Amino acid sequence: MIEVKGLKISYGSADQRVVAVDGVEFSVDQGASLGLLGPSGCGKTTLLFALAGLITPNEGSLSINGEKVVGIRRDVALILQNAGLLPWKTVWGNANLSLKLSGRYPAENAAAVLEELGLAEFRERFPSELSEGMKRRVGIARALAITPSVMLMDEPLASLDAITQERIQNLFLELWQERRFTMVFVTHDIEEAAFLGEEIIVLSERPARIKTIVENPQMGSLDYRGTSEFYRIVTHLRRVMEE
Amino acid sequence: MKRSLYTVLSIAGLLLAWWIFSLILEIVRGVVIIPNPWQALAEVGRNVNEISRHLYASAIRLVTSMVIAFLTAVPLGLIIGYERQFDRLVTPLIYITYPIPQVVFLPVLFIIFGLGDAVRITVISLALFFQVLISARGAAKGVTQEDLASVLSAGANRFQVYWHLILPASLPAILTSMRVSIGLGMALLFLSETAPLRTLHGLGSFIAAHLAFRRDIAFAGVVTMAFLGLMLYILLDVIERVVCRWRYVKRRDRPQWPLRLKMAKIREWISKKFSSS
Repeated sequence: MIEVKGLKISYGSADQRVVAVDGVEFSVDQGASLGLLGPSGCGKTTLLFALAGLITPNEGSLSINGEKVVGIRRDVALILQNAGLLPWKTVWGNANLSLKLSGRYPAENAAAVLEELGLAEFRERFPSELSEGMKRRVGIARALAITPSVMLMDEPLASLDAITQERIQNLFLELWQERRFTMVFVTHDIEEAAFLGEEIIVLSERPARIKTIVENPQMGSLDYRGTSEFYRIVTHLRRVMEE
Repeated sequence: MKRSLYTVLSIAGLLLAWWIFSLILEIVRGVVIIPNPWQALAEVGRNVNEISRHLYASAIRLVTSMVIAFLTAVPLGLIIGYERQFDRLVTPLIYITYPIPQVVFLPVLFIIFGLGDAVRITVISLALFFQVLISARGAAKGVTQEDLASVLSAGANRFQVYWHLILPASLPAILTSMRVSIGLGMALLFLSETAPLRTLHGLGSFIAAHLAFRRDIAFAGVVTMAFLGLMLYILLDVIERVVCRWRYVKRRDRPQWPLRLKMAKIREWISKKFSSS
């Protein structure tokens, strides 16, 4: 369970203060999925980084599973835009990074995840030798390797071609249903939000404030994209975003 | 195979240019001013035992200085580049001390500490130190927020940030600065070996000893110095290929533009530019 109350985050020096997130409140149940949908540069990444413990908020509180977020947590995985792979580490080195740095988890985890995502034969490759879609999968493998209870994702599918994007969205949906982690993802893509979010929070331009919360209870199947409910949600989200 | 052929060709070209230059000088001035390459190479062969002793002494000095510069400048440069407050404190100091030519310390240090190798190595390493320090600092500053978020979210502590992110991200620039400083290192090596002692082992003193009366032998020393430099470049290339292996793999994430296509595009752009005006 994730709880966010009265969150306010600003950065910059005193005379040039930029408010990125202003008074955001929401909660996500264990195993649920929440999409944070907003225009580019609205402060949604800042919000996600605060959840990951990378940024300390100025006001308000953040808690995960009843504990206040004060730093990086071992049960929270973060998938970054462009996968966040280190170019000098191989697929194996990248997938195993979180485990290696903490020294707490067995290395078999990363091996099993690579196997599951069909990356086992590319273990010794470097990221520059992979296609964009494969890079994203390595990023996912790194996150899954720590068997997280919360998965945070920052525009995980930005700048992918449409087919690869859909494939990886499907992969996310399947992994989420299989492993029952809590999923919070940030996106500017309306259809992605409608496909992956059980609940979708629409954020305003900077500073990010909550415009509306849209329930999306019928999501959860791979053919949801073809249904009229999906179109209804997408149309509704688009209207709210344009307001 | 192809690469080594090009190396041979370029060395042959250099020798040819040297030969022509020495011929022109001889014709214009009527006396031999610099020996031609074949004379110099012959002297290398004739004095091979003596020269290799001098080469060994010089190589040890230069390599030791490079290793000392690397081991001191890299950690400091990376820390200055990454820790902002430390940067503000130390960088003004670097900018004040860096422009001082380190070679001015040579006579002073010789007077204080005697004519030993410690002084030579100190002065050479000091000069190289600044070159490497400044590039390491710049490279560490260039580390992106995305990469930082990536290792921090993986749970990295401060040491791990340096080891897994800042050092590997900066290594290519550091190795380039090491290559650039070979030239400077050579110049200081020469100066430090020539100035006070003629009986010293080292290519500098060997060259200086023969420069007045046997320029062909002196140039044999120059050739040997060039050889030492080439070996160091090759060594650094090999090191880079090992420690930065990721930079030498075949990229798949960007379109590969054939060079000829690029040139055709540039030509097209130029012709358009001129035809329109």
